[in-house]
Amino acid sequence: MSILEVRNLKVSYSTGGPQILKGIDFEVGGDDFCAVIGPSGAGKSTLIRCINRLVEPTEGDIILFGQSVCPLKSGDLRRLRRRIGMIFQEFNLVNRMSVMDNVLSGRLGYTGAFRSFFKAFPREDIDRALDLLERVGLQDHVDKRADALSGGQRQRVGIARALMQRPEILLLDEPTSALDPKISRDVMGLIRELAAEFNIPVLCNIHDVQLALETCNRIIGMQDGYKKFDGPAKGMRKQDLDEIYAMEVL
Amino acid sequence: MSITAAPVSAHGFDAYLAHKRRRRINNWLLVACSVALLAWCFWDTIMFDTDWQRMGGALGIGGTLERFLLIDWSLLPKLLVPALETLMMATLGTILGCVFSLPVAWFGAANVTPSKYFFYPLGRFLMVLSRSIHEIIWALLFVGAVGLGALPGILAVAMRSVGFISKITAEAIENIDPKPVEAIRAVGGNQFQVMYYGIVPQILPVIIGTIIFEWDINIRRSAIMGLVGAGGLGLVFFRQMAMFNYGGVTLVVLAVLVLIAIGEVISHYARKAVI
Repeated sequence: MSILEVRNLKVSYSTGGPQILKGIDFEVGGDDFCAVIGPSGAGKSTLIRCINRLVEPTEGDIILFGQSVCPLKSGDLRRLRRRIGMIFQEFNLVNRMSVMDNVLSGRLGYTGAFRSFFKAFPREDIDRALDLLERVGLQDHVDKRADALSGGQRQRVGIARALMQRPEILLLDEPTSALDPKISRDVMGLIRELAAEFNIPVLCNIHDVQLALETCNRIIGMQDGYKKFDGPAKGMRKQDLDEIYAMEVL
Repeated sequence: MSITAAPVSAHGFDAYLAHKRRRRINNWLLVACSVALLAWCFWDTIMFDTDWQRMGGALGIGGTLERFLLIDWSLLPKLLVPALETLMMATLGTILGCVFSLPVAWFGAANVTPSKYFFYPLGRFLMVLSRSIHEIIWALLFVGAVGLGALPGILAVAMRSVGFISKITAEAIENIDPKPVEAIRAVGGNQFQVMYYGIVPQILPVIIGTIIFEWDINIRRSAIMGLVGAGGLGLVFFRQMAMFNYGGVTLVVLAVLVLIAIGEVISHYARKAVI
């Protein structure tokens, strides 16, 4: 059963400007941990950001949880976004807020104006935040400011924030490219473990091909706005990689 | 080879000299113009505009200074209440100014403004309006509108504070890191939550520093509000001046000095505590 369906997706940032995505089709199913790989400028980030409409699609359709994403107005869009967890390249934490407040901010989509003004989150949210922080190994850093943590720790806060939403799909935008190789493997392993535990499909944008092949069970290869490869990670051959990264070799 | 090379290098040297000469002449012209302008200002404002007949000799000037230096200490107990009033005027004016600044900063920050074509220019206009009208003029307006007392002073100080606070705040909003904002939008936060969780924590230190600084300035402003009937130490100053009690005037000036020094000390420590 497919959770996400992308049909003939085209994006250009300005009318008449260059097309970043030139007609992308794919589906993501319930147990997919799907990596999107490709050279810089292939449109990977744009693709990920289209799915929760941080970037507006120009043409085509995105169907998520059985409803079309593109025509949604602000209120419905917010209700959709809170079902999508997102983890970012630069973590995108609010540096001057505590780790706990950053994690709790994952619940903002479900929190009323009054509660969010006083940062008075319900008891169950606080319990869940503490649980998740323990799961990602940050139980000793709850009250620290986000900018007091190391890169790997900050990304763990990002993971906890995304899981706070009880997401039905996870979007990962280069979650490891600000981290060193060892920490990258830890973080990807943690995400895979948690995604499997909570049964969340993942669409992950990643430039480290080796790490993608190790972690993910499916690969989508992109080049210059087109989909060049789509298949299981195990079936990927060296020729396929060469084709995706052809532009860089030349 | 040297025959062909020589004219080139000679040309280069001549051009260099000529350039240097031109620059020296330009510099001299600039200095001459500045001196002429200065002389004209001096002539027109001091030589021409001063009432030389009324200026006394050295004795007269000395006598006036002496009258000011004979401080009237008997006034001291009567200064406590106006001094407090000045301080309160500055504090309330600053708080009210912050409240008014909120919408102005929101309108006038290009990246969060509700409308680029209406609210953004409106916000920018209000910032300029607030700053281009002197606090005394604001006070005169409010004395006319709400009568004498501290209230017009508070309103005047508030109106004058809006420009600075909202401008700095708007600029801080424009300079924030957009990434946390993207994250709050991605979890499904609404407009208010995006601002409160994504923007406010980033700009808070700048805003608090600015408010403390503005409060410091507002003590100075409040001290002269009384000149137009808006309460505080200025009113005492005005009365002493009207009674030609120069010793009393000096005491009020000293009181203002002490008040500002106190404000300086408080704001120094407050800013340290924040940043």
